[in-house]
Amino acid sequence: MHERLSFYTKRDSSLHKLNPLTKLTLAFSLVLISFISPWYWTPHVLLLLILIPLSFLGKVSGEFLRALFRLILPAAGFLFLMQAFFQPIGSSIIFKIWFLDITKESLIFAFRNAMRIAIMVSSFTLFLLTTHPSELMSELTRRGLPGQFAYVIISTLQIIPQMQAKAQTIIAAQRSRGLDTQSGFLKRVGSLIPLVGPLVFGSLVEVEERAIAIEARGFTSTREKTFLYDIPDTNLDRALRWMLILLVIASLALRIWLS
Amino acid sequence: MAIVNLSNVTYKYPLTDSPALQNISLQVEEGEFVAVIGPNGAGKSTLCYTLAGFVPHFFKGELTGTVEVDGKDLHKATLNDWVLNVGLAFQNPFNQISGAKYTVFEELAFGLENIGIPPQEMKTRVHEAMKLTGISDLADRSPYSLSGGQQQRVALTSILVMQPRVLVLDEPTSQMDPIGTREVFGVIRTMAERGMTVILVEHKVEWIAQFADRVIALHEGQLLLEGTPSQVLTSDLLPEKGFGISRYTSVAREAQKRGLWKEEKLPVTLDEAVDGFIPLSPRMRGQG
Repeated sequence: MHERLSFYTKRDSSLHKLNPLTKLTLAFSLVLISFISPWYWTPHVLLLLILIPLSFLGKVSGEFLRALFRLILPAAGFLFLMQAFFQPIGSSIIFKIWFLDITKESLIFAFRNAMRIAIMVSSFTLFLLTTHPSELMSELTRRGLPGQFAYVIISTLQIIPQMQAKAQTIIAAQRSRGLDTQSGFLKRVGSLIPLVGPLVFGSLVEVEERAIAIEARGFTSTREKTFLYDIPDTNLDRALRWMLILLVIASLALRIWLS
Repeated sequence: MAIVNLSNVTYKYPLTDSPALQNISLQVEEGEFVAVIGPNGAGKSTLCYTLAGFVPHFFKGELTGTVEVDGKDLHKATLNDWVLNVGLAFQNPFNQISGAKYTVFEELAFGLENIGIPPQEMKTRVHEAMKLTGISDLADRSPYSLSGGQQQRVALTSILVMQPRVLVLDEPTSQMDPIGTREVFGVIRTMAERGMTVILVEHKVEWIAQFADRVIALHEGQLLLEGTPSQVLTSDLLPEKGFGISRYTSVAREAQKRGLWKEEKLPVTLDEAVDGFIPLSPRMRGQG
C-alpha cells in the first residue's frame, strides 16, 4: 500500500555516488548523441558499450536488464516493425508482403528510430534507478530551479500512490454497501461514478489543506533556502559533465561536417 | 504587554453572508497556554487561521478590527513573514505531510530548509524536537507509513521545530489514544513553560482543565466565556449552548441537584470529582 512511485533502488555504488546533475547530463547527452550523430548505428553501439556496463557499475544490472528485455526492447521492436512496413520511403525493395513493401531505406529508418527510442528510455531508466528523486530535486533547486516546480514533481511521485490507496478504500467502502464492480462492462463504468466524486472532491479539499500546511512551514519564504544534506559535487563530476558536453558538441560538429 | 492582541475582529469568508468571527477581542500573554472550546461551526478553526495569518492572506474575505502578534499588525504583514512568528498545526495529519520528503527526519527539516536554517543547526533542532515529542524512533520511516497518531505527532513536531513565538494548534490530538494525548499535552505544557505562547483548540475538556491556564468558549463566532478552566468548563451556559462538557461535571451537577455534592465548585476532572461527593449514609446505601 505504501508503494512509492519511484524506480530508485538503493545500492552502494560509484554511480549512486555521482552528483545527480552529472547523471542527468549523462542521460541527456546519450539521447542527444543518439539523435544528432551522423551514423545510424551509433545508438546501437552506445546502448551496448555504455549503458549495460554502467548498469553493472551501478549495481542495478538486474533491474536494468529486466526492464530492457521485458519492456524497452519489445516496445522498440514493435516500433521497428510498424515503421519498416508503413514508412513509404525509398525504392530499393528488399521483399514484399501482400501490399507492403520493405525497402532498404525504410529498414534503416525504422532501425534507427527504434534504437533512438530504446536508448532514450533505457538511459533514463538507468538514471532513475540510481538517483534518489529528492536528491535530484534538491540539487536542481540549489542550482536555481524554482522550489515550487521541484515540489510539484516530487510530491506527485508520493501522492499518486496515496491516491491509489484511497481509491481502493473508497471502492471497498462502496462495495460493502452493495455496489457492483465485477459484472459487465457498462455496469463497471457506471460504478466508477460513486468513486470519482469522493476522490476528486476529497483531493481538492486536501490540496487546500496541504497548501496551508506547507505555507505554515515557510514554503514561500523569501529567505534563501538551505539544504539538510550536502550533495557532493566532486572534480570527477565536473570533469565528466564537461566531457559529456564536449561529446555532444563533437557529434553535432561531425554531423554538420559530414552532411 | 500581551504578545497576541485581537481587538474587535470580525471576519467573513468570501461568498458567505454571515461572519465566521464576530467582534472578537482577546489578549494572550507570552508563555500563556490558552485553550479554545466551542461546538461545531463556532469559529474555532477560523480563529486559528486568523491568528496564523491565513485569514485574510490565504482565504481572502473581509477582516475588520486589528490582529497584532508581537506588536506587528497582520494587515500590514505578509504571510511568509507572519508564519515565522506564529506556527500552525491542525487536525488532519495526513494533509500536513509535505509529500516532498521520504523520511520523517527530512520531513521535519522541510520547514527549516525553507527558512534558510544552516544544516548543522537544522539537525540539532530536529533531533531535539523529536526527543521532546517522543518520535526519535520514527526518524528513518516514511511519513506515509505511520499511523494517524504518529503522523499527528510528526505534524506537531514539524511546527515545533520552527520555534515560533506563538503556537496555534487546532485539535492536534484528534487521532490519538489517551496515552498519546497525555504526552502531547505534556509537550505543549513544557513549551508554554519555556516561554512559547500556546493557543489550543481542543474538545477533550478534562485535559484542558489539567493543563491550560485559561479557557475561551466560542459560540456562533462570538466570544461566550473567558476565564480559568474551572470557571469556564463548569459554567451552566455550556450544556445549554451545545458544548461538550466533562462527564464529571455532569454527574456532579446532578448530584448537586439532589444535595449530594458538598463543594461549591463543580469538578472537571476525576481527581476533583472524587473529593466532592457527600458520602452516603448507611441507610441510604441500603435503599440503593
